Amino acid sequence: MTESGVDAKLEVKQASKEFKESENVAEKYSAMTVSKNSDVNMNVGELSAAFTAVPAHKSVKKQIQFANQEDKQEFSKFPTKTGRRSLSRSISQSSTDSYSSAASYTDSSDDETSPREKTQVNSKGSSDFCVKNIKQAEFGRREIEIAEQDMSALISLRKRAQGEKPLAGAKVVGCTHITAQTAVLIETLVALGAQCRWTACNIYSTQNEVAAALAEIGVAVFAWKGESEDDFWWCIDRCVNTEGWQANMILDDGGDLTHWVYKKYPSVFKKVQGIVEESVTGVHRLYQLSKAGKLCVPAMNVNDSVTKQKFDNLYCCRESILDGLKRTTDVMFGGKQVVVCGYGEVGKGCCSALKALGAIVCVTEIDPICALQACMDGFKVVKLNEVVRHMDMVITCTGNKNVVTREQLDRMKNGCIVCNMGHSNTEIDVASLRTPELTWERVRSQVDHIIWPDGKRVILLAEGRLLNLSCSTVPSFVLSITATTQALALIELYNAPEGRYRQDVYLLPKKMDEYVASLHLPNFDAHLTELSDEQAKYMGLNKNGPFKPNYYRY
Amino acid sequence: MSVQVVAAKMAEVELKDVPNKELSAVSPVAPKTDEKGLSNTDLNASATSPAVEPAVKGDPSPLSSAPSTAKIPQASAMKRPDPQQNGGEAFVNRDGTVAEAPRMKKQIQFADQKQEFNKRPTKIGRRSLSRSISQSSTDSYSSAASYTDSSDDETSPRDKQQKNSKGNGDFCIKNIKQADFGRREIEIAEQEMPALMALRKRAQGEKPLAGAKVVGCTHITAQTAVLMETLSALGAQCRWAACNIYSTQNEVAAALAEGGFSVFAWKGESEDDFWWCIDRCVNLEGWQPNMILDDGGDLTHWIYKKYPNMFKKIKGIVEESVTGVHRLYQLSKAGKLCVPAMNVNDSVTKQKFDNLYCCRESILDGLKRTTDVMFGGKQVVVCGYGEVGKGCCAALKAMGSIVYVTEIDPICALQACMDGFRLVKLNEVIRQVDIVITCTGNKNVVVRENLDRMKNGCIVCNMGHSNTEIDVASLRTPELTWERVRSQVDHVIWPDGKRIVLLAEGRLLNLSCSTVPTFVLSITATTQALALIELYNAPEGRYKQDVYLLPKKMDEYVASLHLPTFDAHLTELTDEQAKYLGLNKNGPFKPNYYRY
Repeated sequence: MTESGVDAKLEVKQASKEFKESENVAEKYSAMTVSKNSDVNMNVGELSAAFTAVPAHKSVKKQIQFANQEDKQEFSKFPTKTGRRSLSRSISQSSTDSYSSAASYTDSSDDETSPREKTQVNSKGSSDFCVKNIKQAEFGRREIEIAEQDMSALISLRKRAQGEKPLAGAKVVGCTHITAQTAVLIETLVALGAQCRWTACNIYSTQNEVAAALAEIGVAVFAWKGESEDDFWWCIDRCVNTEGWQANMILDDGGDLTHWVYKKYPSVFKKVQGIVEESVTGVHRLYQLSKAGKLCVPAMNVNDSVTKQKFDNLYCCRESILDGLKRTTDVMFGGKQVVVCGYGEVGKGCCSALKALGAIVCVTEIDPICALQACMDGFKVVKLNEVVRHMDMVITCTGNKNVVTREQLDRMKNGCIVCNMGHSNTEIDVASLRTPELTWERVRSQVDHIIWPDGKRVILLAEGRLLNLSCSTVPSFVLSITATTQALALIELYNAPEGRYRQDVYLLPKKMDEYVASLHLPNFDAHLTELSDEQAKYMGLNKNGPFKPNYYRY
Repeated sequence: MSVQVVAAKMAEVELKDVPNKELSAVSPVAPKTDEKGLSNTDLNASATSPAVEPAVKGDPSPLSSAPSTAKIPQASAMKRPDPQQNGGEAFVNRDGTVAEAPRMKKQIQFADQKQEFNKRPTKIGRRSLSRSISQSSTDSYSSAASYTDSSDDETSPRDKQQKNSKGNGDFCIKNIKQADFGRREIEIAEQEMPALMALRKRAQGEKPLAGAKVVGCTHITAQTAVLMETLSALGAQCRWAACNIYSTQNEVAAALAEGGFSVFAWKGESEDDFWWCIDRCVNLEGWQPNMILDDGGDLTHWIYKKYPNMFKKIKGIVEESVTGVHRLYQLSKAGKLCVPAMNVNDSVTKQKFDNLYCCRESILDGLKRTTDVMFGGKQVVVCGYGEVGKGCCAALKAMGSIVYVTEIDPICALQACMDGFRLVKLNEVIRQVDIVITCTGNKNVVVRENLDRMKNGCIVCNMGHSNTEIDVASLRTPELTWERVRSQVDHVIWPDGKRIVLLAEGRLLNLSCSTVPTFVLSITATTQALALIELYNAPEGRYKQDVYLLPKKMDEYVASLHLPTFDAHLTELTDEQAKYLGLNKNGPFKPNYYRY
């Protein structure tokens, strides 16, 4: 024991060395942030300034009221500006932007009165909620039940932990997309003993029926589809500001709720035991706060957990690239020549899916290590210019900007399909295509033909925005991973002994990450092997994990 | 700032994990470091398993892995009984065993030091996430043969006076006349190591190693020779000894001596010879090394013991093997490391090639060479889905096998599911599978009970580390008949006539029954060269008295040097794009925590 203790110290040294390196990254990161932020008159380090930016871009929303896609862009802009580069895509976005997420089928017939002006009471006589129409609760219940089918991990978490009620006494205030999947999460938290008050993190994403169903069972929900900017903050405020109820846990997606509590009710933080944040943006804001020394409670970054990352990027994109292309273009993949720009997680997923369908895939990369991986996986590494004339499809997933420029678009052959799987809409220089000599023809939703004077057509999907968000669905299974991770993060923070977490941003402990994975294994009828005592001893592991050192690459 | 702080915290957590990984690391390597001891242990090993011995002798290859593979298992077997409580003593035990063997006295003298040096690894280290190529390069089944050996006289090279064509006698090798043969070997290796050749061309002008006096202790093979000549081309002076008493290619050593390198190594050194060679390398009037390139830590150890003053002039140590790295961490922990050291074993590129890519190919190669089995439609169970397991599964799936996976870690298990493999417990499928492959790094993954239930003709082999994964000892019972059908292949026959095909007696299949491609060795050699350059040229203060990982930028450079082999064309960032991403155009391109 002592031996390993000493050893640990030694490793600390080594580790601390790595920090120095990571420090550089961090500095670069913050340096970036500074320069980027200055574009929008933000002053990093100044928390207040950082946060005033939020309402600012919310109000932008107002101006473009309901111009759906533009709003999304606006929303995703923030990370682009502040974050150096997101290695992941936040599911929080995906869940809203989904092409065919469950429709609000009762909406159209609704009256136009603002929910704020209506007085509604659920069947138990409680009126502590604000939703579009409480009468839709039954429809919502059905949606939730369907979602439960796909989220067996949360259901089994409920079963496993229902007895001990690990969240007994927890008062969770949440701000996420309000969808059937979130409802399953909320009901799980309730089943584990928590009291919940909830609001939407996006003015468009709420499923009204689901909100109604939640209100019906007594969750204080403040959300409806198509809130105004003002409604948005009003809802958040109603969530937080209740006589005789003070939140002790925050579950946030995007950081708006955290921001609001900071601005308006800083004293609430005295009682808050922790913040769980899901999105890239929100996590970035937390790091900013922490850097400025203004984070006064522990926060958990669930965005960067291994399981979530792999599902958000590798597995999700591996399927949605094919799905998105099929839905929009009905293209056949066999024998097609495809170039994939970027061989990170997303690129790896796209390449393996396309290869499996018989496409001839080549890859462009800037990082020699990833390039070597591509080589070893059997993909030709090329520069885009060398192959762009021959390609049937061009897919970008670099996270960079102007990867496909007008010059390259000019050289593409007739019928070439161009789409983006990376983050935001900067990878393809779409603006350069909006010139008089080119004719744009919308052939179906999300599909534009751009016609050159000589008759050549290039098929641009989703106007260069994320293909998998615009043209395919995010499977409930992926959302289940996220929701389970959030639930476990709440449990971990709420039950952590005094002193384990300080006022800083933490990653989910590996053991929890492993638990998330293990909860999803029954979906595959997968049978996990258990270590024998002897084997565990030999490996120096606890039989119940964690099984890998933290630096393990998976 | 907060970011770093958090990272720091994470690291502390990691620390606890780290020891785990290392134990395992130790076991395979430890034997190697005690090389001389090995020969003896080896005898024991062959005594217990007679089959091994002939294979060794019969093998014309100087690199013949047979001895070392035999040793390795033996050593680890001895150590294993109680790794937890007295891993350290295990070594004592082992030396005790060794003591019966002929060269006992000398050995003990050195063994003591070794023990001290080695003791901790056993206790602390746990599980190697990698296999050291340093072993592979020796152990390879069919690497270049020492075709001139057999005709040689039996005089010890130490007693011979030899001079190269320039009249220089500052070397000690088997036979300088073999230089021409060796040169040919080196030229062949150069063909397959274009990265080092490219490095020579790129850096020849600036001579980044001008003034460097490198003393090295590695396997002396054609690939190493390419590395040495590269170092020399970059301006370094080199003196070299072997890190393994069996692995030296005599012709290559001769070619190097002819080329003016002071090489002290021959195939089949005794324990005493081994240390004598190292000493001759280091201890020279008027020449003091300022860089150390080590593989296994023996050289570093020797200098510490005998010439501690030398460290005043030494700018850094580059260490390749898991064991050596572990010993360095020990030194560092004890506050005794007085120069910076570079751990090249854990660089991303090297790790991926040692595990994923190398095993992906060698699983098929090893099985084909030994059993000529056809893979299509075969039911295979792979135990463990780490890097090695992932490689094996991908290869087998590609050949049309039906692959099952067993795992203990839910995250890896979920990865296996998402990659389309059925996740099972071994017991559930053991009756129906045609091939069982272990790659867990654990012990007793396949036990006698499992073996009893296998169907006739089932092939059992191990791709993990050491020979503990399959409980081979349990098969040595009177009712079972062992039949050696060819080298490395045993049929174990049950009383009812059922046969199980056991490969390499449960030792590492890819070391015993297939080759390590030169390309993989090239990755390692290039990484070593760059680590030397980095340490030698680092501005004062960048590296302190501690063990460092190769900077990511260097790792990327290693990868980039190997890209031309694939005719791969790397895209360059435009200034605008680099600014957008907040990156330097020349890298590093990823944050440190990136998983690749």
